[in-house]
Amino acid sequence: MTECNRDIDCRSAVQKLWDYLDEELTPDRMDEVRRHLERCGDCLPHHEYGRVFLAALATARQTDARAPDALRRRVMDSLRAAGFNA
Amino acid sequence: MDERGGPAGQPAPSPAAGTKDEDARFVPQMTAPANAAREDDLRFEAEALPYIDDVYRFALSLTRDAADADDVVQETFLRAYRSWHTFQPGSDARRWLFTITRNVFLRSRERERRHVDIEDGDLEALSSFAAATDQERDGSDRILSRIDLGPALQRALNELDEPFKSAVVLVDLEDQSYEAASEILGVPIGTVRSRLFRGRRILQEKLMTYARDAGFTTAQRGQRGSKDD
Repeated sequence: MTECNRDIDCRSAVQKLWDYLDEELTPDRMDEVRRHLERCGDCLPHHEYGRVFLAALATARQTDARAPDALRRRVMDSLRAAGFNA
Repeated sequence: MDERGGPAGQPAPSPAAGTKDEDARFVPQMTAPANAAREDDLRFEAEALPYIDDVYRFALSLTRDAADADDVVQETFLRAYRSWHTFQPGSDARRWLFTITRNVFLRSRERERRHVDIEDGDLEALSSFAAATDQERDGSDRILSRIDLGPALQRALNELDEPFKSAVVLVDLEDQSYEAASEILGVPIGTVRSRLFRGRRILQEKLMTYARDAGFTTAQRGQRGSKDD
């Protein structure tokens, strides 16, 4: 990995990449990584790889899944059997 | 819920119209404990049951099987109802239900659980991207961006072991923060981070295996992934 002489070095930027992609860093740390990625051609592909991977993973979410009516009835039946009375 | 008897928080309709004194003669008087139980049930109906779709989706992401998800959801709400008295009013009911859902799921898979030692989160973060670095070098990132990952991801998630699956599902599929995942899983944030990064790394490796099995070559850097045969 190339040493970039930025605010943070490549090692530090790469260590923070997942947290950066998840937006789990403090605003200052987010800025540090963002600035580094803007200037470092070595680290940018790693960021792009992580971004593509997480975007693909997010598509596996069952976005439209709703509990089937039969399941709702089943849940209510089991709750009533347990004494639920609303 | 479709089965609701009426709006939450409203008293049951009186069987007899009239003055308050007349009502008192016709309506069976509930004891104080019965009243409290009724209030709890109404709160459960208003605060927990509306999350049945969220719980179902989370269960489906964990089990990857509709019938298994149904079982998990039913058990989740039954356990939630029985322990409703432990729920802190005003706290996040969805998060509380997710904790129960995950525990129910784990119990259902107890025999299949394989324990894997967790290492330091920072090391995992670094090694995860180190793997990415190697893959980037041989053009694998370009393949991942071009092939249809849907079937491979479904299979990879099916095969992903606990405790990594729950961390990945919560953060990457359910869009929960590390802090929320930490609360749901009952572990420190550093452990969430470690499990998440390890889980992602395993998924990446599985996807690259899928790409190779599907005949996508990684030899031609910068070119479109092509079938070898």
